[in-house]
Amino acid sequence: MNFGVWGVVSLVVYLFALLAVAEFARRAKRDSSPSDHFLAGRSLGTFILFLTLYATAYSGNSLLGYPGRAYREGYSFIMATGFMMAIIVMFHVIVPRLRPLAVAGQFVTPGDYLRVRFSGSWAKPLRLAVAILMCLALANFLLAQLKAMGDVASVVTDGRISYPAAVIGLAAVILFYETRGGMRAVAWTDAAQGIVMLLGLAGLLGWLLTEAGGLTVITRAVAERRPSAVSVPTAIVCVNWFSTIALMGLASVLYPQAIQRIFAARSGRSLKRSFAAMTFMPLATTLVVTLIGVAAIARFDITNAIDTDEVVPMLLRDWGSAGGFSIWAAMLVFLGALSAIMSTADSCLLSLGSLLSRDLMGREGSDERATRLGKNLAAGILIATIPFALWRDLTLWRLIELKMELLIQCVPAFLIALHWSRLRAGPVFAGIVVGTLFSAGLSLSGVARLGGVHVGVVGCALNTLVAVLGSLRPIQAESSSDSPSLDGVGQPF
Amino acid sequence: MSLPHRRRWIRIVCMILIALLYIASVPWYRDDSAPLKLWLGLPDWVTVAVLCYVGVAILNAVAWSVTEVPDTTDSIADERGAAG
Repeated sequence: MNFGVWGVVSLVVYLFALLAVAEFARRAKRDSSPSDHFLAGRSLGTFILFLTLYATAYSGNSLLGYPGRAYREGYSFIMATGFMMAIIVMFHVIVPRLRPLAVAGQFVTPGDYLRVRFSGSWAKPLRLAVAILMCLALANFLLAQLKAMGDVASVVTDGRISYPAAVIGLAAVILFYETRGGMRAVAWTDAAQGIVMLLGLAGLLGWLLTEAGGLTVITRAVAERRPSAVSVPTAIVCVNWFSTIALMGLASVLYPQAIQRIFAARSGRSLKRSFAAMTFMPLATTLVVTLIGVAAIARFDITNAIDTDEVVPMLLRDWGSAGGFSIWAAMLVFLGALSAIMSTADSCLLSLGSLLSRDLMGREGSDERATRLGKNLAAGILIATIPFALWRDLTLWRLIELKMELLIQCVPAFLIALHWSRLRAGPVFAGIVVGTLFSAGLSLSGVARLGGVHVGVVGCALNTLVAVLGSLRPIQAESSSDSPSLDGVGQPF
Repeated sequence: MSLPHRRRWIRIVCMILIALLYIASVPWYRDDSAPLKLWLGLPDWVTVAVLCYVGVAILNAVAWSVTEVPDTTDSIADERGAAG
């Protein structure tokens, strides 16, 4: 049996295992409330929380987009290890403040925090603006996962499962287990997927190093083939390095699915232990995929940027074609990559359902109907995203950047609002409008960076300036209702 | 110094060191025409970046271990009181 056939067999076995986990999760449900479906009844302990955070944070982008980018950029993409770590550093800004408020207010979505934090005539437009940005970012993220799923499955099964069939089939599986088991199914499958992903990546790097004869040999081979991949980065690349750390660090803590895991934790202690462990994961994951991408420079000659996203599947095919044990090891990596992608897609979908029903449509009930609405909306979004996933002329990295440029505009509404009691809804809303128009406008007109700095970061700086200066202005008597609302959450932050 | 104060200071020191390591991790201070030098199998500027990120990971884990993540809003008020 050749590599492609083994790919089909392992894929089928893996999908059945996922469906079994989903069934166990469905049986563990306590009730049909949004809290139980979207947050697993706020019962996630340290181990599951850590693995679900890990599997959610490391997505198809990390396993396919990052090696692809490392292949194009060379060693300067070591910056990815830094920005993935910056995310865990930035969580210090929100977790200790947001967690107690979430417990007291029984938050389900990020919008629940805004509802409690801001009042006045601009509070609702602000919540809607944040919800729209987050939904757009999540839909974009979901799209990237669908594309990545299609790539991995079609390449590793040697085309026996076509790209469109893989996208549609795997999306259907995700929808099934997410709808049946909710956050429990997502968290449990994430845990299993996280373990497979770690083992798979370690195996792939081990094979690359062993086959090539060590890191030194790989680096020399890369230097010979493409000297710019190993040379000291230019000043503009260094500016971009800092900018990417800021963009990813600030925006990633605002992933709705990450914020919802803060709400879903069993306790604050579980959360801090999970984050303490998470801080080492960029070394075990991002650093490894960067080295894999750079090592591929010495093996392949890919000229089309879109095709560089297929570096990992191509390596897997090479590895597996050696036969014997290699096939099994490559299958493990294949399942690890697919796991990473599916675990992120399912988290996106779950968050999208809750955001659309609660924050955009205002269904804040705690009954079964609210849960059902969230599930139906998630299904609708998934189906609507599939045609876009079948359009392949966009790299995964560009999709990540577009998503982050939107998410980073929510920084004042969360990161600053949690620490500064004077911040008001009106100026924050105005800041979001200014920042989003600036960064989305430039981005859509083809300007991704200004002097190496992402337009999203510049937009966020403008946004913050508007929000802070506007909030420093004395409150007029007639607009005094536009002040922070802290009902039910104790003292001002 | 009380335990909450000490933890707060440890956290602040960790954050400052993390910021410095981030600044050192980006080779803005290096000549971009310098010849390739390998260290531990990687270009030397890459090894420096990796070592900086290892340091960030350790300091961040320490910072999380001393961070209080309260489950009640009362704890925020207590923390504020302790912080003066």
